[in-house]
Amino acid sequence: MNYHLELMMKKLLGTDIAERNFAIFPDDTFLVSYPRSGNTWTRFLIANLVYPNVDVSFKNIERLIPDTSSQSSRTLRRTPRPRFIKTHEYFDHRCQRIICIVRDPRDVALSYYDFQRKYRHIEDGYPLATYINDFVSGNLNSSGWGTWGEHVASWFYTRRKSKDFLLLRYEDMMADPVRQLVRAAAFLGIEPDPARIEEAVQRSSADRMREMEKTQAKDWVATRNHRTDIPFVRIAQSGGWKEKLPAECVAQIEAAWGDTMVALGYELVSAIAQPAIRVLAEKQTAR
Amino acid sequence: MMAKLGALARYLLGHDPAGRNLTTFPDDTFIVSYPKSGNTWTRFLVASLIHNEEPMTFLKADKVIPTIDSQSRKYFKSLPRPRVIKSHFPFDQNYQRVIYIVRDPKDVAVSQYHYQIKRKVLEDGHPMDEWIARYVAGETCPYGSWGENVGSWLAARQQNPNFLLLRYEDMIQRTDVELIKIARFFGIDPTPERIQWAIGQSTADRMRKLEQQEAGKWQSTRDTRKDKFFVRSAKAGEGKATLSPAAIAQIESAWGPLMQWLGYETASTGKRGTDRGPSERTFLEAALEQRVR
Repeated sequence: MNYHLELMMKKLLGTDIAERNFAIFPDDTFLVSYPRSGNTWTRFLIANLVYPNVDVSFKNIERLIPDTSSQSSRTLRRTPRPRFIKTHEYFDHRCQRIICIVRDPRDVALSYYDFQRKYRHIEDGYPLATYINDFVSGNLNSSGWGTWGEHVASWFYTRRKSKDFLLLRYEDMMADPVRQLVRAAAFLGIEPDPARIEEAVQRSSADRMREMEKTQAKDWVATRNHRTDIPFVRIAQSGGWKEKLPAECVAQIEAAWGDTMVALGYELVSAIAQPAIRVLAEKQTAR
Repeated sequence: MMAKLGALARYLLGHDPAGRNLTTFPDDTFIVSYPKSGNTWTRFLVASLIHNEEPMTFLKADKVIPTIDSQSRKYFKSLPRPRVIKSHFPFDQNYQRVIYIVRDPKDVAVSQYHYQIKRKVLEDGHPMDEWIARYVAGETCPYGSWGENVGSWLAARQQNPNFLLLRYEDMIQRTDVELIKIARFFGIDPTPERIQWAIGQSTADRMRKLEQQEAGKWQSTRDTRKDKFFVRSAKAGEGKATLSPAAIAQIESAWGPLMQWLGYETASTGKRGTDRGPSERTFLEAALEQRVR
């Protein structure tokens, strides 16, 4: 009952967390991703691109590009339009303009493992194989986002052909952030001035974000009150799974989501039990 | 402010519609479809299969298989488990066990168009081609477009053993075979008597008669035109027979590959599509194949 009273007060004041319960406008742009897929980096890139005169930091990122899982419906309502909104929600048909960030699930799993230790969702030394099993079967204790496969497939297969859908791969952003930010600028109708793009990329570099995290972790809702010995801005690399993820974990992820991984251009390495996918994967690579 | 207070009072008392805020359990089974795809008929079949002690009615089906966004959270809390719940929402990860019913989007269009006339959303004789453009854009219905609704579920769950995909057309053609699948999904022994009884309770003729008696009380027909009926053609193929070539072309250009995967006729697959049923390939394999071709 207390829970309900508290939620009622919050709803009355408009301070309840937005999640999926807030009004959406046709000119909203959503930064959509599964957790640990480069969404925060993309938020900084987009904020620095869109607001070149603002010193974007963890102190103001929630105001510039609010997060549906930490900000209230009132904050979202008061955000000036056209709004940029960050979300980890799976497919929501009300959202029209989507920048969808995807990352190799084998790396997502490792990053999420550290993140959930940081948030004390799991203990240090929680067996990685057990964690991967939870990750694949939708049993993480933050399971409200669906599994990686459900989340990514629900957006990708409903919207991939829409002109209002931009897919960014974290790996492509790592390899050439300027090029990917030029794509984002074009999508947003912003003149891709080379100096402006370059500036936005510099201001959003992993080094700079790490420095900011050191001094601003207590100012940001996503890092406040969580373990400080594990950073939010982690290695910021791709392919770490090749060294750190045991072969049977890799196989488990590929067996679960191999088709979507191949569709997104992620190469499969294990002898998974889906020969049809392998043939299609080879065709895709040959293209 | 008063409206907000009213909503809050309803929330506190648990009288607000459950919708996306329903607390779900792993043993819940959801009967999900895009609107006008045979969901009410399926509910009749399932309700009669489970509650085979007395004749089924619209009001009773509504009670034992309530609609997620029209019954209150309190009502859902009071239902004995395992619950069976009806929903039209696009993919929702909280639904663990799902029976998803799909119907040819050409037929769905015709059915939805007529239902909107019945509900006085559209006037008689509203130009169909204009309406189809909005239908394809997902603007005629609060649950996304047909392609988004179907696509989001298939993409996320099609290979999941707790997801049962049924085509309305197959249910019409061989109701017993499809109902046996449903019975097995619920762990019910599909004895011929039990299957036939449920089918008998759910014939279009019987449902039409019941509609005449219950239309004034049932929430989906209350306050709608009485000269039009909820249980309408109960057939497959009306879209192809009545829609203009331009309207059909619009539907196929939006959702052609998805229709083909489901075995629905399109200009490029021709008629042979219709009997085949969903493709042997998984939904994601087929999508991938299309991509690399």
